[in-house]
Amino acid sequence: MGLTTSKEYAELEWPIKIAIAIVWVAFAVNLFGTIVKRREKHMYVAIWFYIATVVTVAVLHITNSMTMPAGWFKSYSMYAGVQDALVQWWYGHNAVAFFLTTPYLGLMYYFLPKAANRPIFSYRLSIIHFWALIFLYIWAGPHHLLYTALPDWAQSLGMVFSLMLIAPSWGGMLNGLLTLRGVWDKVRQDPVLKFMVVAVTAYGMATLEGPVMAIKTVNSLSHYTDWTIAHAHGGALGWNGFLTFSMLYYLFPRLYKTNLWSTKLANYHFWLGLLGMMFYIIPIYVAGITEGLMWKQFNKDGFLQYPNFLETIIQVVPMFRLRAIGGMLYILGVLMMAYNLYRTAKAGKFESDTEAQAAPLEKTPAVAHGKLSWHRMLEGKPMFFTVLAIVSILVGGLVEIIPMFLVRENVPTIASVHPYTPLEVLGRDIYIREGCLGCHSQMIRPFRSETERYGEYSKAGEFIYDHPFLWGSERKGPDLAREGGKYPAAWHYNHMDDPRSVSPGSIMPRYSWLLTQNLETDTLPWKLSALRRIGVPYPAGYENGPAQKDLQEQAEKVVADLKLGGVNTDPNKEIIALIGYLQRLGTDIKSAPVTTAAK
Amino acid sequence: MSNDPKEPLLLDHNYDGIQELDNNLPRWWVWLFYITIIYAAVYLVYFHVTHTGNLSAAEYDQEMKVGNEIKAAAMGKFESSIPTLTPSTNAVVLDSGRQTYAKFCAPCHRADGGGLVGPNLTDSYWIHGSNFTDNVTVIWNGVPAKGMITWKKVLKPDEICSVASYIYTLRGAKLATPGKPPENQTPVNNGPSQFE
Ligand code: HEC
Repeated sequence: MGLTTSKEYAELEWPIKIAIAIVWVAFAVNLFGTIVKRREKHMYVAIWFYIATVVTVAVLHITNSMTMPAGWFKSYSMYAGVQDALVQWWYGHNAVAFFLTTPYLGLMYYFLPKAANRPIFSYRLSIIHFWALIFLYIWAGPHHLLYTALPDWAQSLGMVFSLMLIAPSWGGMLNGLLTLRGVWDKVRQDPVLKFMVVAVTAYGMATLEGPVMAIKTVNSLSHYTDWTIAHAHGGALGWNGFLTFSMLYYLFPRLYKTNLWSTKLANYHFWLGLLGMMFYIIPIYVAGITEGLMWKQFNKDGFLQYPNFLETIIQVVPMFRLRAIGGMLYILGVLMMAYNLYRTAKAGKFESDTEAQAAPLEKTPAVAHGKLSWHRMLEGKPMFFTVLAIVSILVGGLVEIIPMFLVRENVPTIASVHPYTPLEVLGRDIYIREGCLGCHSQMIRPFRSETERYGEYSKAGEFIYDHPFLWGSERKGPDLAREGGKYPAAWHYNHMDDPRSVSPGSIMPRYSWLLTQNLETDTLPWKLSALRRIGVPYPAGYENGPAQKDLQEQAEKVVADLKLGGVNTDPNKEIIALIGYLQRLGTDIKSAPVTTAAK
Repeated sequence: MSNDPKEPLLLDHNYDGIQELDNNLPRWWVWLFYITIIYAAVYLVYFHVTHTGNLSAAEYDQEMKVGNEIKAAAMGKFESSIPTLTPSTNAVVLDSGRQTYAKFCAPCHRADGGGLVGPNLTDSYWIHGSNFTDNVTVIWNGVPAKGMITWKKVLKPDEICSVASYIYTLRGAKLATPGKPPENQTPVNNGPSQFE
């Protein structure tokens, strides 16, 4: 449908964003209400993680959703370019952390000791790794933007904080695995524990791999390749998937007061899931590293070995097929589980109300264990605890984000960079609507392998009118940051109609409807005034008449260019706006020298 | 509740039946944490306080310097070898030359070499000399003032050789539509084409 803001993990348009915020707040009220009212005096470690989740996700969602509506289903990010990128990845990184990591750690802290019937290995470790984790995590966002136009200091912070995260993350894994000391024989038999062990191990692997990928040298190879995707899926399929399966296998028999219908089937699911995961992840690792190496390969004469991007992507297509097989195996396992659980539910009887037993109001003061008792006390003060958690998660974000907005040196101005013309704005919206940035980046990194291929590397000052930023995070096609003027207009026309007609073997889909659909220009005034309100210097009143005239003129020019290449079309087609936008990309600094980036 | 002799470290915590031990932090874990913290501090000081390390832009300049030297050396070597070059007849080379031609040259010299903006490459008239090596030189350096592009900035030396070898095969080709007539060029003895 094309309703998207283009921001990863935050694509939804603004009415939906507001709805999400309302639901989340309702959830938070419920959670805190329960915590405050209940009679249990201390909060168990699982609750700490839930609290961190609720408050952090709220902060992230609200900050990153700041958009200027331009109609019901269209809006522009309040932030532009480098700043938008930083906010987005502060959000993106931590949305993963506080939506897929901390709540799952909370769940692990409940289900693992329950299923294993063992006490948690170390209360101290819980305390230290919890606070370290939530404090440090927030800082690591910029590791998604290494070697981009983001200022160096922010990149460095992203890198070193990612490295410091290894130990706190592993604290969770260790506390899980060491809790199983003494019951490893049980692990071998019980599918619930088996799934759990793999989940916790996958968590450990992913949280080691993440920081490794945040090392700039590694990242220079891995970024924009399928390696990133392999990393994300290792975490999602292994940690989140397997922990979920294990919880379901634990819960169903208890909810329905019976035994699991088939332990054997659960074991098959386990092995199938594991196999599926291997088939899914290993090929894309291979693909990712292959892509990275081929993009960077120079021959002995100092020329790119594979100057044609297509060559590199065709190389890895078979890997994507294997990946699909892996995904199917994994889903097959899930179906087996669903059947198993269904049979379990049918065999038993749902226990609708278990006898609730209110915890006795305990009077014991928190003195027992000398040096850590202050934390014990904290566990009895949920609101104070929450405030401390909020403070810890805010520090990192504030230190990184505020200077990026206030210190001008971070985004050196380039005099020749101008706002997008009306036609280009509409073309850019089509680029967003069609999801081009899923496969194309717009960020040339400062490596010779990239500048030889794409042209001068991208500068922070080039993006000041980019609401939202469109740097992308993956390359399935070449970078487009300097696409403007690389090919004649007619080339683009034919390429969008059928990529294979001008670039044999291309894996890009056809977008032939752009050639026939009429360009919607009615919303232009809304769009331009929304953009002006967030800082793009269109003159007052520009949107009312002059803008439409400029749009027509530029469209006619594109039509004339197309005619040179033997293509005849009308100026009111969507393709015209898209070509206008593509031909503009990256051309601003071709016309004037750049003020050197501040060190 | 810590009365189980086997679990001396059991704390008196009990949440829905979950208990907690009070084990010490694993030593290696503590060290791992310290090391990453120290590394972070050293890294930040090295790059951002004392400015000892090269940041992205300086790193890039360095990389460019090295890379461009290698490239310049290779190009210099090729340039001085131009007078000794001969057209290739290898089918693979000619095919890659044909592709390069279709992509980069046909817009000006016409798909069949008959000439559009650029001169006819199939006739016996040459502005810059009729030898194979003359062609290579023109393609390599271009004639910017007259609209012929300096291809050494775009194509690799071996691509230039292959496209030159390919246009060599076009000499004397029978064109379906007449080629561009020669302007103030002098006719020269072309040397044999493959098709003659
Ligand atoms: C932008 C248009 C353009 C393109 C593209 C172009 N040429 Fe040319 N070419 C010209 C023009 C114009 C001349 C005549 C220069 C002069 O008058 O000195 C020329 C001259 C030449 C000559 C010399 C002809 C002579 O009579 O001596 C050769 C050989 C040649 N081009 C080969 C190529 C090859 C091979 C390519 C592709 C790699 C190519 N050209 C691409 C415009 C072009």
